[in-house]
Amino acid sequence: MRLSDIMGAANLSGYAEVAMVLFLAAFVVIVLAIFAPGRKRTYDAASRMPLDDEHPQTPR
Amino acid sequence: MNARLDSFSYDDDIVRKFLWAAMIWGLVGFLIGLIIAIQLPWPGFNAAPYLTFGRLRPLHTNAVIFAFAGNAFFCGAYYSTQRLLKTRMWSDALSKFHFWGWQAIIVAAAITLPLGLTQSKEYAELEWPIDIAIAVVWVAFAVNYFVTLTKRRERHIYVAIWFYIASIITVALLHIFNNLSVPAGPFKSYSIYAGVQDAFMQWWYGHNAVAFFLTTPFLGLMYYFMPKAADRPVFSYRLSILHFWSLVFLYIWAGPHHLHYTALPDWASTLGMLFSVMLWMPSWGGMVNGLLTLRGAWHKVTEDPILKFFVVAVTAYGMSTFEGPMLSIKSVNALAHYTDWIIAHVHTGALGWNGFLTFGMVYWLAPRLFQTEIYSKKLVNLHFWLATFGILLYVVAIYSAGATQGLMWRAFDETGRLQYPDFVETVIRLIPMYWVRVVGGTLYITGMLLALYNLYKTWAARPAAYEVPVVQAAPLNPVYVDDHAPEAGGLWARFTHMGWHRRWEGMPLFFSVMTAVAVIVASLFEIIPTFLIKSNVPTIASVKPYTPLELAGRNIYQREGCFNCHSQMVRPLTYETERYGDYSKPGESVYEHPFLWGSRRIGPDLAREGGKYPDLWHVRHMKNPREVTQKSIMPAYPHLETNVIDFPAIQKSVDAMAMIGVPYGDAVNTAPAMAKAQAEQLAASIEAAGGPKGLADKEIVALTAYLQRLGRDLKNATAGTAQQAAPAAAAPTAATAPAGPAGSR
Repeated sequence: MRLSDIMGAANLSGYAEVAMVLFLAAFVVIVLAIFAPGRKRTYDAASRMPLDDEHPQTPR
Repeated sequence: MNARLDSFSYDDDIVRKFLWAAMIWGLVGFLIGLIIAIQLPWPGFNAAPYLTFGRLRPLHTNAVIFAFAGNAFFCGAYYSTQRLLKTRMWSDALSKFHFWGWQAIIVAAAITLPLGLTQSKEYAELEWPIDIAIAVVWVAFAVNYFVTLTKRRERHIYVAIWFYIASIITVALLHIFNNLSVPAGPFKSYSIYAGVQDAFMQWWYGHNAVAFFLTTPFLGLMYYFMPKAADRPVFSYRLSILHFWSLVFLYIWAGPHHLHYTALPDWASTLGMLFSVMLWMPSWGGMVNGLLTLRGAWHKVTEDPILKFFVVAVTAYGMSTFEGPMLSIKSVNALAHYTDWIIAHVHTGALGWNGFLTFGMVYWLAPRLFQTEIYSKKLVNLHFWLATFGILLYVVAIYSAGATQGLMWRAFDETGRLQYPDFVETVIRLIPMYWVRVVGGTLYITGMLLALYNLYKTWAARPAAYEVPVVQAAPLNPVYVDDHAPEAGGLWARFTHMGWHRRWEGMPLFFSVMTAVAVIVASLFEIIPTFLIKSNVPTIASVKPYTPLELAGRNIYQREGCFNCHSQMVRPLTYETERYGDYSKPGESVYEHPFLWGSRRIGPDLAREGGKYPDLWHVRHMKNPREVTQKSIMPAYPHLETNVIDFPAIQKSVDAMAMIGVPYGDAVNTAPAMAKAQAEQLAASIEAAGGPKGLADKEIVALTAYLQRLGRDLKNATAGTAQQAAPAAAAPTAATAPAGPAGSR
């Protein structure tokens, strides 16, 4: 009785569809979260990081 | 809040070192590429034994990937990481160890590959001692990097750093798990995986070498150096979050698209295809983010050659990442697989994306690192145009070569027979395009020479002593202040507020763990079923291990790099079975450590080679291919007739194979004697057929024995050695699996 026999007998193939639905749901949720309006200021500040790296900043 | 400021300086010395390494090794890698480009249309340009196409092609790929792109990544990463984190690298000693260790590995590769020391897995050719060295150097780099992250003076880590982190972690995983092997000598080892599983692991690695060595490091560089050069922030930080996580999670799955229609189970290749198609979107997210960073700055592109390099680099990235998903669609892949189309595809990526991004970055860095003006802006412009035309010539010629050959392979005439039954016809047709490639490559290399001259002149004008500016920044606040606190709201409001991701950005080690989780989980989803579902590899009773002599022949086959031009995998497609015989079954490869399915056919497939030609044909063919196949472009291997077989070493090979589960029985005690007996028998039959005398201890006999064995187990249950079998028609045998591609549902 090898591990591969057990795995073969377990009939796990249905889990692939379940996983796909879960992945897709997670993806949609994250897209909504990222592109939800607001917080522009924070994102703008973050995207300026490479440009501001020449000047020392106040404590953070 | 404390107002105390730390004073420190950045380590630019290491950046300068890596910059030179990248450019010098780049030139070497391109020149080797030019040599093998000339060897294809002009076989006389091969110099056996050390400088044949089969040995130089891996050297070219390794030099360009690990020496050129690798050093370029380190150069940009060391420069940008220190500045984005407001701290010097934690340990100068580790940085230096990383630099010299990496260069030593490259030198080791440049020596061992032409000597024929190879594991024969694409981009993982380097033998086991070098693999261990790579792991050690990589870990030193990683330790230095992660400790630097903890010493940072900038709370949040910028997107470029995310990409570096993903690269460092994933490359380590890929390298270690694909290179697991059992040594059979100081520079010989056998992969612990066999056949289908080995193929799966190899392309999990091979595809993700593209992903995490040629894509994510360079996206990190793009996210830092493009905004710097354009003096504009990146187009959308939101998009970069989505871009990063989807790329990291999806890329890992796509490996099986290198194995469509092979003996890999259907479910795996379908999964690989689906994820490859999905991958198109995050990749284009990256392209859009790069190109739109230039919004409102397009007028600068006309004046600034650095931006020109970046624009073409990102455009090339966009083109190759559209093409990749397209090529991963099975029906498209059926045409393109094994042809030059794939070669053109990778060169769009390597020459356009990696090359141009590196050039743009190097030209931007040079005046800052050498603290003087760039020597000549005109030369930078000239380099840009030469290299651009070089790429165009290269890809246009090689795309048409790929499509031409793919279409010729599958063409049937009106009587229902193969229109080009003779493989060499489909090769000769490509020769003019191969010469165009040589011209394109030469243009690209000319540009590289200009770049090196320009950099040298810039370096020559450097100040007597480099100025080391002292930077001041406040230390990290020990208390995490959330500048991003959500307004009141429920769980959903808090989630969509993305404060959690902002927090992750402030906790780089946790961020690294999450990145590792993403790639490991995605990997396991594919690896576990591949290794644990029995029906993936239905057993075939008549398949037996290679005899000791055939194993020695297989070692020679690997050493000469035959797998670079000859596949051993007949796909279940009409034109393919018509040309070569019965399609390959998963059960045939169970003793293949490593698998040798190949990925390019510059010569015909060899999976059904056994018994197709007399033994003497093989002897003559290896000595001078053009004696038996007019216009063949294969290199000549005269040394195989004079090299003596190392019989004692055969024992080591057999023992190593037995150790990883190949049922060798008695051969574990008597391998050399068994090999000698078979070699004498085969040499006698070659002599009887009118061939050269005294081959009984020569390498050509071992190689012939191996070639004559290929595909025989499926045809007859007796493991044939030197017996002459008439070329059998592709008749189904008792051992074949049910009709249809090797699937497992």
